[in-house]
Amino acid sequence: MAAWGERLAGVRGVLLDISGVLYDGGEGGGAPIAGSVEALARLKRSQLKVRFCTNESQKSRGDLVGMLRRLGFDISEGEVTAPAPATCLILKERGLRPHLLIHDGVRSEFDQIDTSNPNCVVIADAGEGFSYQNMNKAFQVLMELENPVLLSLGKGRYYKETSGLMLDVGPYMKALEYACGIEAEVVGKPSPEFFKSALREMGLEAHQAIMIGDDIMGDVSGAQRCGMRALQVRTGKFRSGDTSGQQGPGPGKDSRRPPGPRRGSQPSCVCCDVQPSAVR
Amino acid sequence: MAARRALKAVLVDLSGTLHVEDTAVPGAQEALQRQGATSVMVRFVTNTTKESKKDLLERLKKLEFDISEDEIFTSLTAARNLVEQKQVRPMLLVDDRALPDFKGIQTSDPNAVVIGLAPDHFHYQILNQAFRLLLDGAPLIAVHKARYYKRQDGLALGPGPFVTALEHAADTKATVVGKPEKTFFLEALRSTGCEPEEAIMIGDDCRDDVGGAQNVGMLGILVKTGKYRAADEEKINPAPYLTCDSFPHAVDHILQHLL
Repeated sequence: MAAWGERLAGVRGVLLDISGVLYDGGEGGGAPIAGSVEALARLKRSQLKVRFCTNESQKSRGDLVGMLRRLGFDISEGEVTAPAPATCLILKERGLRPHLLIHDGVRSEFDQIDTSNPNCVVIADAGEGFSYQNMNKAFQVLMELENPVLLSLGKGRYYKETSGLMLDVGPYMKALEYACGIEAEVVGKPSPEFFKSALREMGLEAHQAIMIGDDIMGDVSGAQRCGMRALQVRTGKFRSGDTSGQQGPGPGKDSRRPPGPRRGSQPSCVCCDVQPSAVR
Repeated sequence: MAARRALKAVLVDLSGTLHVEDTAVPGAQEALQRQGATSVMVRFVTNTTKESKKDLLERLKKLEFDISEDEIFTSLTAARNLVEQKQVRPMLLVDDRALPDFKGIQTSDPNAVVIGLAPDHFHYQILNQAFRLLLDGAPLIAVHKARYYKRQDGLALGPGPFVTALEHAADTKATVVGKPEKTFFLEALRSTGCEPEEAIMIGDDCRDDVGGAQNVGMLGILVKTGKYRAADEEKINPAPYLTCDSFPHAVDHILQHLL
């Protein structure tokens, strides 16, 4: 335990990913991950600051928080850093009017945005909204622009729902990049600006915070590149190849493994579910 | 220039070379007949992903080209050959009109994905199914990776972007079988029994037809019909063996200089 004490010295706040850490989405709102409701409650009773850092872009913050509260999680809108509001700030700052390739569930986050005569495309996790027609419309908008701008809310490859793994926004972002010969700008994890804005909201420096996530690239690697520590959970989209070179105990509330490398990503620690006791 | 072996086979592109939409290139039918009178073997090659060989044959016959089905080689044929070679059961993301070219191939309980231009199949549920197969290790075979194509209502996404999406999602690489891939030309020549050094390609797409063919050791003739744009011939290195006005001119050259 001494080793852990060292590794976690100076941590005063926790940034929590939502999907794959707290719950898996799906039919009827999805299901909480075993132990996570209670673990979050323990975190909140501790002296640590807690904030949620999510790339959720299919639902508005209000809907997401409402759904999580119904599952028993102690969470409120003001505690959530999400990509849609961050995108709106950028659109306003740069005078961009977007063609939105998004799920209807998140449209309300863009109510204050002028979408007439679009001069850019915003792509989010549109789910079923990623029809050929909708992709083609976004493509045609980009091809008409002298200066095509593509803003992508996150770039995750896939996420876990109760029915299995689901394509996320990343592959569709790549599709438009390839079709148009352009590069998207990513708003959301793992972009450093996104992590920094979450840290600002918590009033903490990077070295005082630890990110807990299921995505080795988007959550763990992204957070660590900003100077935070990061904890990889083996729930959600985690697959055993993600932290390669691992042998060790099977899943169990207390099993943890030393970090292993994958494409340069080395989590501060790997464990199988939210372990707030470790953080204390 | 190194001595070449005698010419034994000619590969001819279809759309843009023999015909443009529903109009034959002037003089093409007659040129084809003159070529047919020689001992040189012919194959008609195309990157189509939504026309079966029967459909192509029908269109060409209507334009009075004298062609038989087994002289046609498409990127769908190439995909089928690869599926048979690998002995896999593909999930076919191809236009319904392409299905006849996969007749006889087992598709239940798929362990591979074949993807062509299939707008009707590129919706979320189906791509997600394909993605899950790929994540489990199924090979991805792409008929080709064109970024987009021209439709009446403007530009439209080709299969390329969706292949890229799946490659990225499953962290895998597709085997692309259409032009300008080497395997396409080698497969097209297989039934002729000829080596690339004994063959020549005639087409209107400098990179995909001529560049691709020369890359595999064939000669390439670029014709200035179809999608050809001025100075296209300067876009590849080495330059086309010959750039000429149209298919009949290409045939003239072959008959005069290469036989």
